[in-house]
Amino acid sequence: MNPRIKHRITRRQSLALIGATFAAMTLPTTSLFANTGGMRYKTFAGTDKQLPVIGMGTWRTFNVGNDPELLDARTEVVKAFFEHGGGLIDSSPMYGSAPDVMGYALQQLGTPESLFSAEKVWSPAGGSAREQVAELKDRWTVDHFDLVQVHNLTDWRDHLAALQEMKTEGVIRHVGITTSHGRRHREIEQIMTSEDIDFVQLTYNITHREVENRLLPLAQERGIGVIANRPYDGGSLIKHLKRRDAPLPEWANEECGCTTWADFLLKFIVSHPAITCAIPATTQVEHMRENMRAGHSPMPSADARQRMADYIESL
Amino acid sequence: MNAWTSYRLQDFIPFTAEVYFRLLERMGETFWPLHLLTLGLGAAALTLALRHRPRLACLLPAPLWAFVAVAFFFQRYAALNWAGGYVGNAFIAQAVLLVVMALTGWGMDKAPRSTSPPVILGTAIALFGLIVMPLIAPLSGDSWYQAEVFGLHADPTAVTTLGLLLIMLRGFALWIAAIIPTLWLVVSGLTLQVLGSTGATVLFAILAIVLIGLVWKSIEFKR
Repeated sequence: MNPRIKHRITRRQSLALIGATFAAMTLPTTSLFANTGGMRYKTFAGTDKQLPVIGMGTWRTFNVGNDPELLDARTEVVKAFFEHGGGLIDSSPMYGSAPDVMGYALQQLGTPESLFSAEKVWSPAGGSAREQVAELKDRWTVDHFDLVQVHNLTDWRDHLAALQEMKTEGVIRHVGITTSHGRRHREIEQIMTSEDIDFVQLTYNITHREVENRLLPLAQERGIGVIANRPYDGGSLIKHLKRRDAPLPEWANEECGCTTWADFLLKFIVSHPAITCAIPATTQVEHMRENMRAGHSPMPSADARQRMADYIESL
Repeated sequence: MNAWTSYRLQDFIPFTAEVYFRLLERMGETFWPLHLLTLGLGAAALTLALRHRPRLACLLPAPLWAFVAVAFFFQRYAALNWAGGYVGNAFIAQAVLLVVMALTGWGMDKAPRSTSPPVILGTAIALFGLIVMPLIAPLSGDSWYQAEVFGLHADPTAVTTLGLLLIMLRGFALWIAAIIPTLWLVVSGLTLQVLGSTGATVLFAILAIVLIGLVWKSIEFKR
């Protein structure tokens, strides 16, 4: 038997699921996870569209230049992502060759219906927002982007105005802004309040929870989708846990089916009601599979989330 | 949170160790057996520098700096790092500087004493760049194609050139000619540090020795 599915569901989990189902029936539909098969989905940006709660980042991991061996290896990672129901893939012109590598992978695999392509515009990349988007479309070999974000708020007023125009023209589907590492939150809050944006991308993980205070409630209030970057804190969080051989608490399996640290860390993030999806990045197919499984039911309750955060703090 | 203090070194390195070392390996695979020619040119430059022919010794590494700029930085590294094009331009500038110095004779130390400590340091550094650096990868169990070679890869090119400069230049010209190779070794050392490579320690140790040599030679020159 596959050891990963040996403890797939316990009696306690069954009861929890039944209870959760009844509890969910009393909630407004916008706060619900839509469960289609294994992967959990969430609606976003005040629409009825849905995204799988686990997406894919490409920072560092997909910047392989024109190395044929590594291009094929990353294509296998993308293939595993789609095979496990993946949707959102996030890249940036700042990530070196990552957009080209995505283009290579999509050429090899075809462009699946589920792809939700997310790119960014960035001033040092050169050219206007419109020129950057056109160039990035060529690099990805796609005919449109589902989301274009202003990278780290660089020249955000000019870029956002241009992106809004492009959205109106139907050149792109959604617009957003990004930050990471907890930077410029006051400005992010101001933009979320004053501008009509669909997504905000920010750093949120079990050890970086500052956004829970203001930005995540604001996103819920304004109907803005939230993409959580650095779910493993740039890899250091999961590496640290694995290196010190920290035991995964048994209750985490009982509460929300966590059998790996990837489950534990990602389920914590995507179970926050304001988070649309998390975007872990990896170079390995096995890690991609592990990440994708974390998007499956069950998810931790609010109490379990607090317990998870306390546990990590105690380590 | 202050935006600038939140940045860490790894935020500026947009690739993984696997990708960077594959890049070095691909340079070796693509250009073999050019290694033999570039190493021969390096050995010739060192011999000429020690035999008081500094202008010719200064000229020989120039095309190799231009080659590394194009083949390594513009054609490969720039695909991984948007700053790669700027570094490539800096390598071209170094090539031009070496040619100008060779043609004008500016700052040439026409009779370096082989017993002078900075010349001894320069010789040791140049030999390290020419002989020891290519052996580090194979002796660490990696492929011969991963061997970093003077004239093909940026680090040994910068190290060997710094050694040659300590032998053949003096005064203000020595410091000017050392700027670009030194800055590259700082960047490369920091990159290797982020990638978790012990090569970072080697480069920082070389930089420390180069700095001692530069200061020593300047003091000697003023006497």
